[in-house]
Amino acid sequence: MKKTKNKKDQAPQKPILTISKLHKRYNEGKPNEVHALQGVELTVRKGDMMAIMGSSGCGKTTLLNMIGHLDRRSSGEIIIDGVDTSTLSDGQMTAFRRDNIGFIFQLFNLFPFLTAVEDVETPLLLRGINSGLAREQAKMMLRELGMGDRLYHLPTELSGGQQQRVAVARALINQPAIILGDEPTGDLDSTTSSDIMDLFRRINKTNQQTLVLVTHNRWIAEKCDYIVHMTDGKISRIEDNPLAKEEKKR
Amino acid sequence: MIAWRSLSRRKTKNLSAVLAVTLGVTLLVGIQITTDTLGNAFLTSLLQSEGEVDLRVTNSTRGGYLGTADQESIEELVPDAVGVMPELSTQIPALVSSQFDPKMEAAGVPVDYPDAFGKFYNWKTGEQMDIKILLEANKSILLSSKQAEKLDLNQDTTLPLSLDTEFTNLTIAVTINATSGLPIITPVQELLTVELQIVGFFDSKRPGIGSQYSGAIFRLEHLQEWISLQDPMRETDIVSAFLVAYKTDHFALEIDEDYLRTKVELLEETIPEEVNPQTSKTQKIYQVTSTRLDFFGFAAFFITIMGTILTSLGFLIMLTGVLLITNVQLMSVEDREFQTGVLRAVGSSRGGVFQSMIIENLFQGIIGGVLGLFGGLAFGQAVALYLVALFGTGELSVQPVVSQEAVILSVIIGVVLSIVTGILPALRASRVNVVEALRGIKVKFKEKSSRNLAAFGVLIIIVGLVLLLYNGVFEETHQVFWSSEGWDSLEEWRMLMMGFGFFIGGLGLVLSRFMDRVKAFNITAITLWAFPSILFVVALGNWVTDITGFSTEILILGIIEIVIGSIMFVALNLPIIMRGLRNVLIKIRGVKGVGQISPALISSHITRSTLTFAIFAIILTLNVLVATLIPTNLGAVTQIEEDSKGVDFAVFLSKPEAIIPGTSFSDELYKIDDRIADVIGFKTFQPNLDFAKFIALEDPLSSEFDSSTDLLPIGTGEFKPGQIRGNASDYSNPNWRYAFYLDGFPDGVRESLVSDPSDDDLLDLSKKAWDQFFDPKYNMAVYNVSSALLAVFTGEIELSDLELGSAGPGVTLAVDPLEGVEPLRDVSGNLVENPIVFTDSFLLPVGLQIWIPMNTSSLGFPVYQAFTIGGSLDSQRAGGFPLGAGLGFGGGEPDFSAILGTLYLPEHWAVKTNFLGEANGQTLTSRGKDQYDSFLIKTNLPIDDPQLEGIAQAIEEFTNTNDEGYRLLTTDNFFLASSVLIYSRIQSTLEMMDRITSFLQIYVTFGLAIGAVGMGVISVRNVSERKREIGMMRAIGFPRSQVILSVLLELVVLGIIGLLIGVINGLLVSMGFANMQNTALVIPWEELGLYLSFIVLIALGSGSIPALAASRIPPAEALRYVG
Repeated sequence: MKKTKNKKDQAPQKPILTISKLHKRYNEGKPNEVHALQGVELTVRKGDMMAIMGSSGCGKTTLLNMIGHLDRRSSGEIIIDGVDTSTLSDGQMTAFRRDNIGFIFQLFNLFPFLTAVEDVETPLLLRGINSGLAREQAKMMLRELGMGDRLYHLPTELSGGQQQRVAVARALINQPAIILGDEPTGDLDSTTSSDIMDLFRRINKTNQQTLVLVTHNRWIAEKCDYIVHMTDGKISRIEDNPLAKEEKKR
Repeated sequence: MIAWRSLSRRKTKNLSAVLAVTLGVTLLVGIQITTDTLGNAFLTSLLQSEGEVDLRVTNSTRGGYLGTADQESIEELVPDAVGVMPELSTQIPALVSSQFDPKMEAAGVPVDYPDAFGKFYNWKTGEQMDIKILLEANKSILLSSKQAEKLDLNQDTTLPLSLDTEFTNLTIAVTINATSGLPIITPVQELLTVELQIVGFFDSKRPGIGSQYSGAIFRLEHLQEWISLQDPMRETDIVSAFLVAYKTDHFALEIDEDYLRTKVELLEETIPEEVNPQTSKTQKIYQVTSTRLDFFGFAAFFITIMGTILTSLGFLIMLTGVLLITNVQLMSVEDREFQTGVLRAVGSSRGGVFQSMIIENLFQGIIGGVLGLFGGLAFGQAVALYLVALFGTGELSVQPVVSQEAVILSVIIGVVLSIVTGILPALRASRVNVVEALRGIKVKFKEKSSRNLAAFGVLIIIVGLVLLLYNGVFEETHQVFWSSEGWDSLEEWRMLMMGFGFFIGGLGLVLSRFMDRVKAFNITAITLWAFPSILFVVALGNWVTDITGFSTEILILGIIEIVIGSIMFVALNLPIIMRGLRNVLIKIRGVKGVGQISPALISSHITRSTLTFAIFAIILTLNVLVATLIPTNLGAVTQIEEDSKGVDFAVFLSKPEAIIPGTSFSDELYKIDDRIADVIGFKTFQPNLDFAKFIALEDPLSSEFDSSTDLLPIGTGEFKPGQIRGNASDYSNPNWRYAFYLDGFPDGVRESLVSDPSDDDLLDLSKKAWDQFFDPKYNMAVYNVSSALLAVFTGEIELSDLELGSAGPGVTLAVDPLEGVEPLRDVSGNLVENPIVFTDSFLLPVGLQIWIPMNTSSLGFPVYQAFTIGGSLDSQRAGGFPLGAGLGFGGGEPDFSAILGTLYLPEHWAVKTNFLGEANGQTLTSRGKDQYDSFLIKTNLPIDDPQLEGIAQAIEEFTNTNDEGYRLLTTDNFFLASSVLIYSRIQSTLEMMDRITSFLQIYVTFGLAIGAVGMGVISVRNVSERKREIGMMRAIGFPRSQVILSVLLELVVLGIIGLLIGVINGLLVSMGFANMQNTALVIPWEELGLYLSFIVLIALGSGSIPALAASRIPPAEALRYVG
């Protein structure tokens, strides 16, 4: 679970995430059982930026939740950064998630009672980092994302784009290996969406952090290196996006 | 429809609202049932003591008898009566084998009493008794089941059984003077021991004539014969009273109070008058008394007091219930702000939203009301059972009474409660800003107030000003703070608290228009809290020394303001407090994340958090107050121990010691145990015959005198210099034998009164006063004082009109009760001055003029001597205690005159009366010079030494064993000694206080239960509506343990805030009580520890299950939650 110090030296081909035979059934054994994921197989390499697309109810968010271990799988294997997560206890998984996975949600999911800087510093505090240091790092991160003048604002005092920037800052603060985004621009207008996507690309490029985004929006998906298409709980097709890869290299 | 769906779908939330209403109704119904039950307990005991008797007609001189000839004229006066019956009653000693009762009630009844008075029923068989046959012989008596139990007899005791008693037999011996040849008439008094036969036991608890008698029953003519033995000049035809019944079967249907009052008043008017040969003025020939009517008044008075205390307490606890319900309703509104926004967005009107919420509340109220009724019944039942244990006698039938009103009331209260507490939340819901609600924006508090609110503030300011001006301007007689120096009266404080309460409340609202609301309301909060705090901590006992007007009203007002002020202050500053808490927590390893979340959660829901800790703040204020009462009073009671000055116990004889040549009871006591160091004998005197029983409160020779209101039955006693001073000649000599304290001094002594006297000062003053008391030449002026309590006893005012705390002798020393009171002058302008007597009676204020019957004139009327009440024995210290008859010492049950207290005459006056001291009297009540009946005993042992019990027992055995010890020495088995250890008195006082406190504790504990349920409800709802936040916490890496901890920490913090406010406020109020009693406040650390544990346990208990459940929900599922 150790993080690599020099991410740029890493070979981009090394898989950061390997999913095999992943199944998820809701209401298992009941008449209203839903087989949301049906043996998903997927490998994501470190530094990749990947989009998952598909119609509503095809299992995109479920897959993302499985990767982030926000929900329990029915069966299958998920290996993140060489760690078979099925062997981890709940406590170990929580710590693993805290240190290795960052989340960005469509509805931002900021704590309504915390200011921007408090929200961002919380993951650092959870790691036991000194409160003063955590505050400074959180401020730096927010300034970096252009939120330097909104440090002490509550979510309700921020616009959607600003809230999503705070959410991004919170997801990045622990320098996770994978960042998962569930329709991260779904609630934003096109200009703000574009800004946020530029931000994601910048992060992906400079930090070599892997991004997995669930989206409905073709235009968003086209900003990613790969587009994974899902149908009825299965991956139907993986579309390579050389244009985006080229752009990243520039 | 929306209301109905909301009701059926939001089960947990509705359940919590219903639970909150249920608790509120339970409390109110419980209080109603308790009060009704108390009333029932009183009425039952009235039925048992009075049976079917509605009123009694007696001789108007009170001490005198009537004859059977009066029956006809009395029957004419009460034409509506269904029964009139003569009765003769007295007290006699009763000895059955080794069981002895020195004062058994004995009554003579005619065998042909009217049916209206019911029947005597056999205790064992329940069959009707024919007293005509049973009481054929003049030595035959029936014994009540109550008396039988007292004498250790039971239903199966074989009858007939011998009962020994004594009657005084007075004979006249006539001798001829040898020198003058004239006859000398000498009355000879001897005690005649009579062996009576108990021929039956009647059930004194069963409806019928038997229920009104608690002792022995004679046939009327037989008791007349026995009693007339003591006065051969008197005819045998003597009757104490004629009993009158206006209806039968009072047990099934109580007589109407107003109807009876009208009858009594009508009868009093129609009683004919005649001229009293002694005073040459006319007076009514009969006196009418109605114990039933007095009892109604007393019961009403007592129930009013109990009701006021319980209602006040209940009101405060109820407040917590209201807070809980409001909290629940507010949560509902907050919960569905989003949905309300949607509703409004799709076209629902404000009225529609309001209406749907109110309908929802209505349903909750009805269900809660019905459930609350059942809760109240259970609560009332528990309290009733406790009442039985509290009174301990088992004689009062304490059955929970559930009136129809209580049932209807409970449902109405439930509905009203839920609607009233729901209006504010419903209004809030209906007024949500649609856009903000949909975006989840909360209203910020730091804004300035609107113009409307400021205008409302002006209105409140005006109310405050009116209240302030009422005293002194509209009501000129009231003392006001601007016209009198210092805030030294409770009246001023009442006005300050009420007037300023409104004034500063309004001021806060007005100021909030122009400045930050938080700052503006902080000013209000601090001032609201400060006024009562200053009253309790500083003013009471220091500035305010006259606390006679201290009422529950001031107490409640003070508590309400102190509680509201403190809660408001903490609520306003909650964000700052929580920031402080956060800064501490995030520095602690392992709770950094929780430190970030929990305090922020608390301060983000200020209203909810405030309502939660407010419940505990109020309830713990009351809990701490009740908990400090006992230890603080213990301090006051142990003071008595110090003041007893070496006296370890007291021994009381059932009648004055016998005159035995060469020895005395005191001498015999020294022989019993050589650790007895000093025996101080006293004469106390509780006459129950004729005029000696009464003192006059008006000159009996004046035209103003009215025997029906101006005579007071009261005990008398004698003090000798040797008893008090020992060998000391005057007050400067330190060798006083017994340190009798006074708390009211003769006017010649009071000049040196200091404002805050120490114990030594008081002892010095008391000694000085005793010198005046024993100085035969000393006379004290009479003052124009009166006692409100006395006015009640003389019938001038109704008991229910009596203001609490307006008792006679001052309860404090710092204010001279005679200051500013004019001394009385006679027609020539001279000061009226009399010799002084001391008293321990709570009825008689210092400076009052009284007349004591000293002798009997040749015509048989009493000759009175005027006295001034010169001093009040301090009932809290040695003096009134332990001699105070009012405390119910001595053998048997204290009679009425004993309860009213005793007047003590100095020896030089005591010997001048036929009724007390040796004089030359040969009456039943006269005494030899050193013939005592009460003894204070000092030993070499400490006051709490368990061996004292053994010495006291040895004295009782020496005196109370038939044909042995003192009974052998006197050849009289009619002596009974009872001892009271001073230390046990302290303990029993504490026990009694403990019982009363624990009764109050039931209510405050119920409040704690409300708090606990409140916390449970809040915990469940907090967790259920914060699922999304919990999901977020889990998503960003909060382990489950920290999620649980964050939920628990929030509850613990809120509980502890409530605890801290409650403890501080409770101690502040208790400090007021301690100051009033001039004793130190004792902090009950143990209880405080218990409360802390309780709060923490409740928080952990109520929070852990929902928190655990929530932490187990997968984050993805939790994040889907939208409330």
